[in-house]
Amino acid sequence: MAHEALAIQTENLGRVYTIKAIKKGEAKQRVALNDVNLEVGRGEFFGLLGPNGAGKTTLIKILTTLLAPTHGRATVAGYDVARQAAQVRPLINMVSGGESSGYGLLTVRENLWMFGQFYGLDSKSTYRRVDALLEIVGLSDRAHTKTSDLSTGLRQKMNIVRGFLTDPQIIFLDEPTLGLDVGASREVRSFVRNWVDERPDRTLLLTTHYMAEAEELCQRVAIINAGKVLACDSPANLKRRLQREAIFRLDVSPLRNGALSTFETLPGVRKFVHTPQDGKSELDLILAEDGAIASVVTTLTSHGAQILNLQKREPTLEDVFVDLVGLSMEQAAAS
Amino acid sequence: MLQTFNRSFRTAAWLGWQVESNWTDPLLFFAFSVLKPVSSVLILVFMYHAVAGAGSDAPIYAYIFLGNAFYIYVGAVMAGTSYAILDDRERYRTLKYLYIAPIAMPMYLLGRAVARFVVGTLAVVITLLVGIFFLNVPVNLLTVDWPLFGLTLALGIICLSFMGLALGAWTLTIRNEPWFLGDAVAASLYLFSGAIFPITLLPGWLQPLAYGLPVTYWLELLRRATLGPNAAAFPTFAAWSNGQLLAALTGLTLAFGLLAALAFRFFDRLARERGLIDAQSNF
Amino acid sequence: MSIVDRQLPTENRQLPAAPRQVIHGWRYFLRTVWARAYPRIIGQQREPAWVFFETFLPFLATVGYVYVYRAMEAPEEFVGFAVMGGAMTAFWLNVMWSMATQLYWDKEQGNLPLYIMSPASLMAILLGMALGGMLATSLRAAIILVLGTWLFQVPFAISNYLQLFAVFLLTMTALYGLGMLFGSLFLLFGRNAWQISQMMQEPIYFISGFYFPIETFGFAVALAAAILPLTLGMDAMRQLTFANGPALGFLSVEIEIGILLLLAVGFVSAAKLALDRMEWRARYEGTLSDRRK
Ligand SMILES: Nc1ncnc2c1ncn2[C@@H]1O[C@H](COP(=O)(O)OP(=O)(O)O)[C@@H](O)[C@H]1O
Ligand SMILES: [Mg+2]
Repeated sequence: MAHEALAIQTENLGRVYTIKAIKKGEAKQRVALNDVNLEVGRGEFFGLLGPNGAGKTTLIKILTTLLAPTHGRATVAGYDVARQAAQVRPLINMVSGGESSGYGLLTVRENLWMFGQFYGLDSKSTYRRVDALLEIVGLSDRAHTKTSDLSTGLRQKMNIVRGFLTDPQIIFLDEPTLGLDVGASREVRSFVRNWVDERPDRTLLLTTHYMAEAEELCQRVAIINAGKVLACDSPANLKRRLQREAIFRLDVSPLRNGALSTFETLPGVRKFVHTPQDGKSELDLILAEDGAIASVVTTLTSHGAQILNLQKREPTLEDVFVDLVGLSMEQAAAS
Repeated sequence: MLQTFNRSFRTAAWLGWQVESNWTDPLLFFAFSVLKPVSSVLILVFMYHAVAGAGSDAPIYAYIFLGNAFYIYVGAVMAGTSYAILDDRERYRTLKYLYIAPIAMPMYLLGRAVARFVVGTLAVVITLLVGIFFLNVPVNLLTVDWPLFGLTLALGIICLSFMGLALGAWTLTIRNEPWFLGDAVAASLYLFSGAIFPITLLPGWLQPLAYGLPVTYWLELLRRATLGPNAAAFPTFAAWSNGQLLAALTGLTLAFGLLAALAFRFFDRLARERGLIDAQSNF
Repeated sequence: MSIVDRQLPTENRQLPAAPRQVIHGWRYFLRTVWARAYPRIIGQQREPAWVFFETFLPFLATVGYVYVYRAMEAPEEFVGFAVMGGAMTAFWLNVMWSMATQLYWDKEQGNLPLYIMSPASLMAILLGMALGGMLATSLRAAIILVLGTWLFQVPFAISNYLQLFAVFLLTMTALYGLGMLFGSLFLLFGRNAWQISQMMQEPIYFISGFYFPIETFGFAVALAAAILPLTLGMDAMRQLTFANGPALGFLSVEIEIGILLLLAVGFVSAAKLALDRMEWRARYEGTLSDRRK
């Protein structure tokens, strides 16, 4: 491996999918990644935050040599992922959430052994490491269970062990907590954090659409939407962009449709997100300054809305996303 | 009561037809209704040629050919009905909804069987036509005893649907890899019903089993109806008149009808008790 | 009073250092082959019901064909042909159901991307799949052969053990090479692969002469059928194991060995090419490693 090289580097990276038309006619093209420029240093814990369909998995597939870029280039550990896949592969591993791996007939331990073999590990030390990793993620008592008998959560834990088994220089985690319950997600995050803390030279790239996850774990985060990287910095710096703005959470009685349009013309309202809830409306507001809240409240009451709760809060990465895209992550995923 | 039955039968037959005829690819349809059955009959034809040279006038030739051709119905109707249950449970995952819908389950399955029968008929007809026109099978369409043929065919198909119903209900109680059951039963009956060789060739202790199977009498009658006097050249049932064979087939059909009703109730209860109506086998 | 402590461990305790990777050389290649063969061999031990049915059904067919020959009053060799054919169907079934459709299943289950991403050679993984399947199937074929021979008193008269061994080995290589080739091709057919396997079964039994000598076809058809490895493989095996075999043979055993050798080399190379092509497509079109189709 080229030692000084960055762990991951992309230059104007792009990927266009060609979707074959089912009926006769022209094939459609879908731009999944557009002009992505990223640099991830060795030892960094890097996050990719974006809604569903943003292009996160596409980027991971390209970096793990599973997919060729259609534009630009990408290197992992200094090697070109398209042309030098053979050099890249021994150094990396990947875990995707919501996917299982291995064969249902094999036990957890056997499946992990099998994958270890594909990475040229000798059997004895593979088993030792498998057992230790299973112990850490709390799966030791299932080591001899057939994987087909595991619950989704446990299968995902096994999948995570598979990814870390080979002690990769660079590991890619594609929404590793997808579909896990709160407790299991916490355990996974804690495992990953400890792993990074104990190995300062290992690089980790994590994608997620849970902003709390990115905020909690990552040293730097790139915010991605519709194939484009919109910002890339540490969570603290990203939030500092909203330092001068004031962020409010307002709960009001259910709003009628017309009420929202008047907001757009209110002075001082930069962005707002309306989330209808059971029996109330939730409003997240990014305001140019504190004072603007007064006219918001006035407008709301003039529309007959009742204020249930008003709270000023610290910016989150979600607010950064709203500020950049103009939509909440949920709304961006739906569109 | 009768109305529910009637309605569910018609709905089921319609639904069954939609499912069974939903071949998106005409090539696949061709393969399953022509390529497979014709190939398996060709294996037998060439086995015969390898032994006997070019001649095809020995009575065993027509015996084997017709037995194999009509046996297609056993796979289509009997095994087909048991597959239908699994298809609904595993592939379409609709069985549980059918169960709670106001249609009588056995009627629904018989409806599927009718659809299978129609598709199977295509394969049988094509196989027979290939045999008559290209492979010297001595069937003369003008001398076929059509009334006997029609009556036998109808009785046999009813009987096969009953068997399929019983088998289907049984399959329902098997959790893992239940697909084999239909195949295994169809393949076993192939040996014990005189489809491709006279049952007198079987070891003596297995022969009573053959005499207990309706398919044995059914195939014998179909051969007699299509071949006329040539069929009698084979000695298995030489002493039996058509009337006696028909009586045996009718009796066994009734018996299997009763068996199917009992089996369905038994396995159905078992499947509900074990929560297998919406089970998924793992691969 | 009860205390709930939700504190998570702050370290991953002592994780043994990563084992050293050796990703070069033939030992690594064999390691990969064995690792992928393992599920195949262990799998059948865990699902005895499968073994039963996969032995039982071909055996029933065999019995049927034996009786058909008896009904035709055929010479006893033919009974042997039927038994041998029945045993060999086990291999064909294994190739179609567990080789040809396997990469497709691996894709559906999410294993294929993991295989492609690993430093292991895909060819080694495919080879392991083949070897494991072959070993596991040999057991089934042997049961059918032994049971059939015992029940029907098949009169074996093996004339040349060395040639027989060579024929069997070459036939298996060519057959599983074909299976490996199908594996990549079927991946492109997607969902239809299952149906293609299903519909090819009887036509192949017929055209390959599983149950009768292929010289019955006449020269031209038999030669065309020889593209399928089992056609000549079984013809040569019939010639080598039955007294009357050579009289019913298609070509001389030496020529058949020659052709089988060509087929073996041809199919294994074609499998390699198809595999590279498949990986290339997977990476460029982005459709094959994707589960949503
Ligand atoms: N194989 C494919 N063929 C066509 N379009 C695809 C394919 N994979 C992903 N896409 C599209 O590319 C975009 C990005 O997808 P993806 O990378 O999976 O996003 P994410 O992982 O952020 O949810 C989406 O619009 C998705 O529909
Ligand atoms: Mg994704």
